[in-house]
Amino acid sequence: MHTVLTRGNAILAYTLSVLACLTFCCFISTVFLDYRTNVKINAVKTLVKNVPNYGNNKELNDLGFITFDLQTDLSGLFNWNVKQLFLYLTAEYKTQNNELNQVVLWDKIILRGENAVLDFKNMNTKYYFWDDGNGLRAHKNVTLTLSWNIIPNAGLLPTLFGIGEHSFKFPEQYTMQPV
Amino acid sequence: MMFNVQTHMDFEGQAKAEKISRLIITLFGFVGLIFGAVIQQFSQTIYILAAGFVLALLITIPPYPLYRKKPLNWQKSRSQSSSESTEASSSKKTKQK
Repeated sequence: MHTVLTRGNAILAYTLSVLACLTFCCFISTVFLDYRTNVKINAVKTLVKNVPNYGNNKELNDLGFITFDLQTDLSGLFNWNVKQLFLYLTAEYKTQNNELNQVVLWDKIILRGENAVLDFKNMNTKYYFWDDGNGLRAHKNVTLTLSWNIIPNAGLLPTLFGIGEHSFKFPEQYTMQPV
Repeated sequence: MMFNVQTHMDFEGQAKAEKISRLIITLFGFVGLIFGAVIQQFSQTIYILAAGFVLALLITIPPYPLYRKKPLNWQKSRSQSSSESTEASSSKKTKQK
């Protein structure tokens, strides 16, 4: 603490230590919170087509088309250690080829301060619902779930499932006309 | 030197400066944490801590007279050149030993 530089150095170092301590307090104050909440999902339109998958192997694969309703209130999830939420809608189903297929159909980023009360009607998916074979037609049990990834200021990056899921069937026939 | 400004503090002044700077930063950090938790904005916590940092810099970096109240009482230097030379030679001898 003799010269200007040593005093400046000591103050800066101590400030950074305090900052680390405060950040840890922020982390510990939110790490035990329950970030799950209720979600209502409903599949409205469900069609399946049999078209060549040029992005993969150019064979005829099943391509699902769905629209969905989504209703949830995520505003309770935000606090001083949540910068944003990354929501994604996943379709899960079982085929002969695979025990578990998971396809992300739609996603959304909600920054803190934006409207977090979601009420979507008849939303289109953002991403293609490709199956890697012909497992979608007449599938009896495709489950839609909403999950979210919490992006914090400090701490863990938990991925959580919303409480509430929706199962639907695909039709028995391929749709021939363009969607 | 044109800018020969004395910036040192005496020993007690250094201890005081360190104590004051830590007190300021800890206090601002604590208040910032409480305030940030109440309004649920961690950025406010950081801004308040930064304000404490700047205040600590302003209060404890310049060598105010507050920190120079008890200078060390050095012995007066011996002015005779003859005694200096004998001192030097004797110190050389002790080094050789």
